[in-house]
Amino acid sequence: MTESAPLAVELRGITKRFPGVVANKDIELRVARGEVHAIVGENGAGKSTLMKTLYGMHRPDEGQILLGGREVVFKSPADAIAAGVGMVHQHFMLADNLTVLENVVLGAEKLHGIGGDARRRIVEISDAYALGLEPDTLVEDLGVGDRQRVEIAKVLYRGATTLILDEPTAVLVPQEVDELFGNLAELKREGLTVIFISHKLDEVRKVADAITVIRRGTTVGTADPRTTTAKQLAEMMVGAELPTPETRTSTVRETPVLQLRGVTVAGPGTRPAVDDVTLTVREGEVVGIAGVEGNGQAELVDAVMGLRPLAAGTIVLGADDITSWTTRTRRERGIGFIPEDRHRQGMLLDAPLWENRVLGHQTEAPNAKGLFIDRKAARADTERIMREYDVRAPGPDTLAVALSGGNQQKLIVGREMSAGPRLLIAAHPTRGVDVGAQSVIWELLKDARAEGMGIVLISADLDELIGLSDTLQVMLRGSVVATLDPQAVTPEQLGGYMTGAVTSPAGSVQ
Amino acid sequence: MSALRRTGQALLAPALAVVIALVISAAVMAAIGVDPARAFSVMVDFGDTPSQQVTAIVVVLNRAVPLFLAGLAVAVAFRMGLFNIGVEGQYRMATVVAAGVGASVSLPGPLHVLLIIVVAMGVAAIWAGIVGVLKVTRGVSEVISSIMLNFIALGLASFLLTGPLRGSEPGASIVTTTEIPESGWFPSLNGLLGALGLANPPRQLYGFLLVAVVVGVAVAVLLKRTRFGFDLRATGLSASAASASGVDAKRMVITTMLISGAVAGLIGLPDLLGSDHSYGTQFTSGLGFLGIAIALLGRNSPLGIAVAAVLFAFLDRASVPLQIASIPSSVVTIIQGTIVLAVVIANEIARRIARRQAESGSAVAPPAAGDGSSPEPGSTPPTGPALTNATGSAGRTEPTGSAQ
Amino acid sequence: MKLAALAIAGSLALAACASDEPAGGSGGSGGSGGGEDGPKIGLAYDTGGRGDKSFNDSAYAGVEAAIETNGGTVQEISPNSDASDRADLLTQLADQGFNPVIAVGFAYGDVIGDVAQQYPDTSFAIVDSSGVDVADNVTGLLFAANEGSFLGGVAAATKSETGNVGFVGGVETPLIQAFEAGFVAGAQAVNPDITVQVQYISPAGDFSGFNDPARGQIVAQGMFDGGADIVYAAAGGSGIGVFQAAAASGKRAIGVDSDQYETVGDPALQAVIMTSVLKRVDNAVEAYIGTFVDGSVEGGTDVVSDLSTEGVGLSYSGGFIDDIKSTIDEYTQKIVDGDITVPETPSN
Repeated sequence: MTESAPLAVELRGITKRFPGVVANKDIELRVARGEVHAIVGENGAGKSTLMKTLYGMHRPDEGQILLGGREVVFKSPADAIAAGVGMVHQHFMLADNLTVLENVVLGAEKLHGIGGDARRRIVEISDAYALGLEPDTLVEDLGVGDRQRVEIAKVLYRGATTLILDEPTAVLVPQEVDELFGNLAELKREGLTVIFISHKLDEVRKVADAITVIRRGTTVGTADPRTTTAKQLAEMMVGAELPTPETRTSTVRETPVLQLRGVTVAGPGTRPAVDDVTLTVREGEVVGIAGVEGNGQAELVDAVMGLRPLAAGTIVLGADDITSWTTRTRRERGIGFIPEDRHRQGMLLDAPLWENRVLGHQTEAPNAKGLFIDRKAARADTERIMREYDVRAPGPDTLAVALSGGNQQKLIVGREMSAGPRLLIAAHPTRGVDVGAQSVIWELLKDARAEGMGIVLISADLDELIGLSDTLQVMLRGSVVATLDPQAVTPEQLGGYMTGAVTSPAGSVQ
Repeated sequence: MSALRRTGQALLAPALAVVIALVISAAVMAAIGVDPARAFSVMVDFGDTPSQQVTAIVVVLNRAVPLFLAGLAVAVAFRMGLFNIGVEGQYRMATVVAAGVGASVSLPGPLHVLLIIVVAMGVAAIWAGIVGVLKVTRGVSEVISSIMLNFIALGLASFLLTGPLRGSEPGASIVTTTEIPESGWFPSLNGLLGALGLANPPRQLYGFLLVAVVVGVAVAVLLKRTRFGFDLRATGLSASAASASGVDAKRMVITTMLISGAVAGLIGLPDLLGSDHSYGTQFTSGLGFLGIAIALLGRNSPLGIAVAAVLFAFLDRASVPLQIASIPSSVVTIIQGTIVLAVVIANEIARRIARRQAESGSAVAPPAAGDGSSPEPGSTPPTGPALTNATGSAGRTEPTGSAQ
Repeated sequence: MKLAALAIAGSLALAACASDEPAGGSGGSGGSGGGEDGPKIGLAYDTGGRGDKSFNDSAYAGVEAAIETNGGTVQEISPNSDASDRADLLTQLADQGFNPVIAVGFAYGDVIGDVAQQYPDTSFAIVDSSGVDVADNVTGLLFAANEGSFLGGVAAATKSETGNVGFVGGVETPLIQAFEAGFVAGAQAVNPDITVQVQYISPAGDFSGFNDPARGQIVAQGMFDGGADIVYAAAGGSGIGVFQAAAASGKRAIGVDSDQYETVGDPALQAVIMTSVLKRVDNAVEAYIGTFVDGSVEGGTDVVSDLSTEGVGLSYSGGFIDDIKSTIDEYTQKIVDGDITVPETPSN
């Protein structure tokens, strides 16, 4: 950082209070023009609150925001955009049935109209930053990485010179992450400033020019990525050692828990979403399913849970053919389920925790007494789960929405484990949770495995997959294309299989 | 304790909304040259003699009973995210058939009444069940099909009334079904009023009030305490989470519509069994639509709906004395309208505040012992476009900005 | 807090009530030269209330005329939106000491008996419904609407060039069916081969048909498209839609109850209103109040207004049917003399 040029973004003493809590306290942030500046911190550390402040979604109670050395006051995101600050949200806000052009122009029609000028501008942006966008492609036909580039184009189209990227890599596979970093380099080269929020420390060290660490709502320091190790960063973040997903010795037994035989699930088009998948999960075994999102993993999970009908094949749980069982029977008979999207499938956000404890186990003790819900017992058991699984919340009557992602997930894991399932379907069990919760969840999965539970693990975190699984199955376009030994495969090789770039059975166990 | 506070918060929003609505109505009244103070005083004036006062109370209660049942029928479906606009047609069908059956049999008292009630509930449940079946098997939106079935129900009820079930003499200006024999009447509660030491009014207090109370309690227990109720509410809060939890969404839709319909079948019975004793062309219509407003006002909770029904009935009663005091009775309509509107808005604001409190409360440390003050109510929610659930009923919105 | 609101309102109530003596004499009594000695008339409207340019307004005109002659005051009152409080209206009027109480519309027929029995000292009248066997203090004010409509049918058939006329009923109730019966009979009396298209806007039990001009227009348009050149609108407030359809098609229409040529208030629509089948509710109401004032009122009976009493008939405003007046008069005489008996219910 040179002292002569004014800083692109400077935050001085930002404090933001909500009733009963201080979300941000005395935050100091100095971002130089043309740098990629990472903000790292655990979930719940206050990164989002800070970025919302910078993006004008709410106003700080104390402190100043300076852009290019001048103090600014944002009343709304519109003010922020006008001042050249743009935000790329973690969850894309794109209309699937519109084209790239339409999505970019939507809401900014005044800038360059909606016709030729707009198209020219988009092509210009795309070329200047190597985004590779086709204005007339429908967004629904785009992959995750392309969608993210559309989001970036949207922000640039609106004239942003400072881009905030909120957890941009959470949804990407390694190859896509590399592409994104390439794009960021282009942005930097053109003199734009990027603020990059993440808790993936390796990535941060790879891409950032400077790092600011936030813990418990305040800045605990800055770090130079070239001289700081991931371990040091992690200690700054949590003050604890970085957990590892590595499992210990194999606990795989002979008895199969789950057998899929030729499972086929119809897709939206003519191609099946899940195509003739056969695999076995044994007691004490973690079977990891790797694959770029959208290659049939979600449909496979739905099929096992009975949420989607099979076009062909059978599913056997233990000795029972469960193909025709309802979801409820499957759950009652010992399938636990940690869904991929906990907000969509795992929780009732507007319901209290104890009702969320009941969810999925409505018919089982201690939640039910005959046809009635045993509210008292369910509450008491929720308190037990909160204790045993370290769910940090005021009490069982707190609304689920009040919990951080990690605590929500711990509640879900605790709930599913409490039923003592034979088989656990864990889809992205640590997605969007902080480092602390992540290690707790990993430990729980390892313990369950040691006790003989069969686990199907779906994850986009390749370290997690490789670390936890006993066997890896790679899915591509609905089929299992490779069965790999996690001991003998690197994330890069695995990524190659996932994208179909590698097909030879390097590291294959069969 | 926190439960107590939550109840307090839950009541605060509608209460505040009623106050705001009264203030707005007062302003409107002042603008059209009506003295609001006088209007309100006329509305709360139940008369001078004990008999008049008790009569007024009876009028309010008698009106509140069908409104309550209508609100309840709508709310049951609302709670699982179904919009049963067909309550209107369901109760009309139920009442005409029940009136016909009731008039055609002769049974000892309680059995006769019971038969009529069962028939009414059954007919309305079947009528509502059609909506459920169409939704489950053909994916027809319940809003569309229940509206369409309303028209069919009106026509069919009219056909039954003027055709096979016609009981009135040809040429009579009001067509009715044959009167139900006295064994099929629901005894009034006037004896009870006497026992309470109140004046015996000229009006009969509907005995069906007791049935409504029982049904209200039953629905409350069903929703809050049973496994079925849990499944129903879970579906309303998040259909995807409910089916992942093992709720059979299709069966749920049909069962809920059947229950909603069965309750709807009761709407016409207070009048049918308590005063009219036959279904006719003058039978009160529109209760099904009013039920939507009542359910909204009562936030889909049986207790809230009871309060809302009494409030609406009270306002309805006021329209007569207002006119006698030369105040346009449209004052009542204005108040009713603004109350519903204010409640919808207040609910939404309260929900956002609660959510923001919840979200920010967890942002750093768990013990979110909020001091009760709300963070700038006017400010925008975390991420803009997600909140558009105009009914505010099921409160189903996608998570806004996942807690980072 | 609701309690608080009630308390505030209640505290004001005392003061307000003190200054707010008997509520009569207001509600637009027209300031007619009444006085405190004349009758305190209670007037309960049918749904739609004052300003329907038809039935309810006609009743009010009658009351106004009666006050002109006899003095007195009137209190008007309308039911709530679903008209579930009809009994309450009558009870409150009687309770407040209004006498006589006039209920406009047959819809009051199923509640007036109970109320009247509770207030035996009050005289009640009901328009379009019978007072016989209801209560000793209820007088029915009935109209031979079928006779008036017969003349409407005569006029339509005489004036029709296509031999095809239409009847749009508001709601398929016995009352409106009597209009239909008379109209069809009148048209066929002139031209036995005439085509009469008959349609109702809503079925019995659904009263929207009296107040739905949009559907009235659709129904009438269908008839005009189907070859009719004159359509009779016996549909209350929906009639305006029939007139609009007629204007749009360059055809003609017949109004109902009051002289709609005078009340419609739109020159474009005036031009299509060939005549109106009058139902002199005003005359009947005025006469009833007269009998009340002179003490000759009889309860438990009906007063029937028909052609012989000129309680029904056709209007000649606009001069569209002046040329066939002799034909009309001829049929009128036949009915009065009993040579023609007009049916009260449709034949089919």
